Amino acid sequence: MINAVLVFNGQGQPRLTKFYTQLETSIQQRLLSEIFALVSNRPSGACNFLPLPPLLAASGTSQSSSEPHNDVPSLVTYRNYATLYFIVISTSTESPLALLDLIQVYVEALDKLFENVCELDLIFNFETLHAALSEMIVGGVVIETNLDRIVAGVKAQGTVAKRPVNESRSTGLGAGLSMGGNFVWPGR
Amino acid sequence: MPTTSRRARAIADRDARFEKSLYDLIRGLRSHKGNEKEYIQNCLRECRSEIRSQDLDLKATALLKLIYLEMFGHDMSWASFNVLEVMASPKYHQKRVGYLGAIQSFRPDTEVLMLATNLLKKDLTATSTTTIALPIVTLPHVITPSLALSVLSDILPRLSHSSPAIRKKTIVTLYRLALVYPETLRAAWPKIKERLMDRSEDSSVTAAIVNVICELGWRRPHDFLSLAPRLFELLVDSGNNWLAIKLIKLFATLTPLEPRLVRKLLPPLTEIIQTTPAMSLLYECINGIIQGGILGSGDDTSGKEEIASLCVDKLRSMIMVDGDPNLKYVALLAFNKIVDTHPWLVAQQEDVILECIDSADISIRIKALDLVQGMVSNDNLVSIVSRLMRQLKLSLTIDRKNGANTSNSNPGESDDDDLERTINPTQKATEQMPPLPDDYRVDVINRILNMCSQNNYNHLNDFEWYIDILTQLVRIAPAPRKTDDMEAPLAIGRTNFGDISEHIGDELRNVAVKVQAVRPACLQAAEIISTQLKNDTPIGHSLNSGVLGPVAWIIGEYAAELEAPEDTLGLLLQLIPRIASPEPLAASLQAAMKVFSLTAGDHLMRWSAEHKSKILLLMARIVHTFEALTLHPNLEVQERSVEFTELLKLTVEAASAQEASTELVHQDTPLLLTQAIPSLFIGWELKSVATSAQKNVPLPEGLDLDEPINPNLNFLLASAESMSIPADEVDEFDTYYYQRPPATSIASEPAIARLEDERHETVGSYQQPTEESYLDADIVARRKLDRLEKNRDDPFYIQETNLAQRSSTPIHNILQNSNGPDLDVDSIPIMELDLDKLSAGVSHAPTKLSKPSRPKPRQRIVIAADENLGSSGQSTPKNDSENDSGSLASKAARARRLKQSVLGVDSTNIGSLNLEGGADNDAYDPEAQRREEAEMAQAMKEVERLRLEMQRANERIQVAQGVDAAGTVVKKKKKTAGKTKKKSTTTAAEENGGEGGVEEGTKVVKKKKKKNVAVIDEGAGDDVPAAAEQSVVKPKKKKAKPPVEIE
Repeated sequence: MINAVLVFNGQGQPRLTKFYTQLETSIQQRLLSEIFALVSNRPSGACNFLPLPPLLAASGTSQSSSEPHNDVPSLVTYRNYATLYFIVISTSTESPLALLDLIQVYVEALDKLFENVCELDLIFNFETLHAALSEMIVGGVVIETNLDRIVAGVKAQGTVAKRPVNESRSTGLGAGLSMGGNFVWPGR
Repeated sequence: MPTTSRRARAIADRDARFEKSLYDLIRGLRSHKGNEKEYIQNCLRECRSEIRSQDLDLKATALLKLIYLEMFGHDMSWASFNVLEVMASPKYHQKRVGYLGAIQSFRPDTEVLMLATNLLKKDLTATSTTTIALPIVTLPHVITPSLALSVLSDILPRLSHSSPAIRKKTIVTLYRLALVYPETLRAAWPKIKERLMDRSEDSSVTAAIVNVICELGWRRPHDFLSLAPRLFELLVDSGNNWLAIKLIKLFATLTPLEPRLVRKLLPPLTEIIQTTPAMSLLYECINGIIQGGILGSGDDTSGKEEIASLCVDKLRSMIMVDGDPNLKYVALLAFNKIVDTHPWLVAQQEDVILECIDSADISIRIKALDLVQGMVSNDNLVSIVSRLMRQLKLSLTIDRKNGANTSNSNPGESDDDDLERTINPTQKATEQMPPLPDDYRVDVINRILNMCSQNNYNHLNDFEWYIDILTQLVRIAPAPRKTDDMEAPLAIGRTNFGDISEHIGDELRNVAVKVQAVRPACLQAAEIISTQLKNDTPIGHSLNSGVLGPVAWIIGEYAAELEAPEDTLGLLLQLIPRIASPEPLAASLQAAMKVFSLTAGDHLMRWSAEHKSKILLLMARIVHTFEALTLHPNLEVQERSVEFTELLKLTVEAASAQEASTELVHQDTPLLLTQAIPSLFIGWELKSVATSAQKNVPLPEGLDLDEPINPNLNFLLASAESMSIPADEVDEFDTYYYQRPPATSIASEPAIARLEDERHETVGSYQQPTEESYLDADIVARRKLDRLEKNRDDPFYIQETNLAQRSSTPIHNILQNSNGPDLDVDSIPIMELDLDKLSAGVSHAPTKLSKPSRPKPRQRIVIAADENLGSSGQSTPKNDSENDSGSLASKAARARRLKQSVLGVDSTNIGSLNLEGGADNDAYDPEAQRREEAEMAQAMKEVERLRLEMQRANERIQVAQGVDAAGTVVKKKKKTAGKTKKKSTTTAAEENGGEGGVEEGTKVVKKKKKKNVAVIDEGAGDDVPAAAEQSVVKPKKKKAKPPVEIE
């Protein structure tokens, strides 16, 4: 299952935190900064999977792989769009490559909702961010991967607030969607 | 914007959409760069007052702001009751904020959750689908067993809601309910199954069901075997890749139980592998085949070899393919899963996997390392370790080079422009190889040590090489992390970070103990390490490397083999005053004493005036060093130094009283020196003992380990605590306990070595790293010298000319003299024909000097096995807690650790629920169950209502008592929280125990001696019918609540 979904920007400021298990706020923040430290040190051309941050590695999955460890988070997947990092922490029951696509779907959904989304939209409408996520993942289990249904689900909850007009607008996240095009799923 | 006007505006604009206010907050945050802290504190204060407002709009806005700030780590648990108020709002957009607040801020100990039950139940039965979705989505975040029990009856009917969106969310929520309250599954499973079987069901709902089954599957695969036909159908027909991935994962857990599935699955899987354009599906197919044990299991091998080679080939090409590191990573992940069951398949891929060890990407490296550890053998150990060593050493030099300029990078500048920046994925750091984090370095060192010491050093041929590696590792090892690690209680379970150099030292000690043949080399290494530590640490700084302990022990224990014991003693005495940590200090004291006893206790040495004064001086020096430690705060150190100081003082007296022998009169060396002190240290040789040996020692009769030795222990401890410390001692305690030891870098090396590195960086071979690339110059030089020395008489080695000179025989010299200097006969190799040597040396022949990997016959080296007590026959010499009770204990410990792990979801409960069996035994009737649940719910509702009423009444009273200043309000909040808690505990007691309720309950209905609902009657008589009916379905209830079990 998916244990947490995090979004933060290049300075490590959180834009969305969603933990599917209850966790102390201070530990949440520590995890966030540990992951940010890992993510910001990635060399170019590195893969989209992070080694476990110290906080999670403490529960130790690598020592004995023979025992069932499906309850423990073992995979940290991230994708970088423009100024933002999208992180998914999951157990081994999720498919790593599919998670990459899931992040892509999430960003595409946001792009559809905000029309050419950028970080400012997410800052000012973090409620919509949550709404879109809960159309895709409930309680750590993926319930929807179809873009149109996700967007429709969010829109059914009310109009999505537009960014205030006096904020300038330029090219957004959407333009970067082709960045990780290695995993386009024709069959989706 | 000034905060006062902001607040005024917020109140004035209460009719405006609430996002407006959050917007203000964010704008404010962004315009207060630099003093955000103050601004946020102000905002929090405002929110505190706004959230208490009667105006729901204002309340919701304040809550939204709090949620936003919570994301940045500002606690909002104090507002949980207000969250509840907003959740209860009739307006959807406010309700949504409330539920979001609950998701983000409720924790297991949030007390108001009890009060939320009613609200959740009400919203679950709302008419609007968006409203229903709110509690469904929220429940997984806040669920507790009792909450699950009470909402189950309301959530179950949602499975057949007309909107597929509700249905799919409900399914997942039921899964999360089942995790904390397994009985959920009993009621929900038939319905979920029905949904899955329904071919007209919405595809999203089917996918959600498969996802949930996939989560449940590995816990209880037996229950899902019966679904195999339907799942198979979905796999073949659905054409949905997301679904297919999950189905394959699910089948991988089912096939071990039902081997017949394999034959059925192979054709579609092979087809997918060969046709699918989606890489992720392809990968999961391969992964599924691997994990499902389809590779080479059973006797029906036809076609399996084919698929095995297909899979492995695909994985191999995934690693080899350039430009997609993600594939590399997942392929390694898959290999990691195969390596346990099919190590030979992985071993074939050694070449590509080893390449990954040097990848610039740490994630890939770590995964490759995981693999490599399982692949080591005699042949590749040296090359693998060399690679790792080279990596460590390179990163060290990079670190040094970067050391100066890393602090310059300034990530703090975040402009608005930045937030809207266009995407440019290639603007990364230009650096090729990022500095390795210390964690990683420690990990690598640990792995090197494990690889080499595996199976009692089974893979190791060349111990001298290993000792040199250890010496080098001590220099590379990151300095131990400082005390701030103490704040991380979660990290304790891990291999101790600070101990890595101690771990290396332990290895050296193990080798010294176990391999007698290389003991002198170990000693030499120990001396080199301690000398280097002494020289590299600036004067005035203390030494805090953990390696000192074991190293000092080696020096002391094997002092007899020291080349120059007196020099070593001098070295130890120089070290001792500078060692910071107590354990190495104690070991060094002991070692110094052992070396002294050896040098002074020599029988054969004449007790001459010269010798006498030398010994006296030496003792004076030791006493001087040790006396400084007699007040050391660590008891072990204190005791040893006091004992030795006193003993030496006594000896000094004896020695100075003893006249030195002259030419004429022979005087004996004082007995204290020759007999008494050496006898302290001479005894049986120490051998390594298996960790399990202790278990074989029979427990003495009458020994009760649980009984306190001193019954007054608690009192003693208490009085010790209250004892005051004399003023003059305070300082020392202070410095010892509260001041951090200065940072030392033990890993520094002479500058020349760095130059050396750079040269080799460019010329070094990628195939086989030379020793120079990972060992420091001095170690390499020493190695070379050793080797030359060893091979001097080996006819297969061609000596370097200058050295060959040394080995010239007289005949050579004569020849040389007579032939004149022009003809250098020595340059012509002369080979002696010696058949014995030839046969022994065949394997030596082709190796070159610079190749470290020469396979060497190891007959010379005897590695002592761990000793054990064989009598009981329970354990063999090699069992290290792997078998018998040890492993059980460790498993249990592990299980416990799993439970505590951060973010981990504990699903063990689910595994123990008997889904099918329970139905048969108890003639299970879902209808009855539901009826009962409904009644239960009815009753619970009543309780909740009453409780809520009382709660409100309470609050009204407290409000009436006076809310004057902001401070008291907070206090009041606490009080109510306390009240709630008290109440909740009483109800909990009543619910669980049953006995608690009997006092009042028996009066009303005699029969219900054990059920919770009985307690409803805290004053309401109308509950009696419910309670009576309750007793009818009593047996079922008992099952539902495992802790009750009263028969």
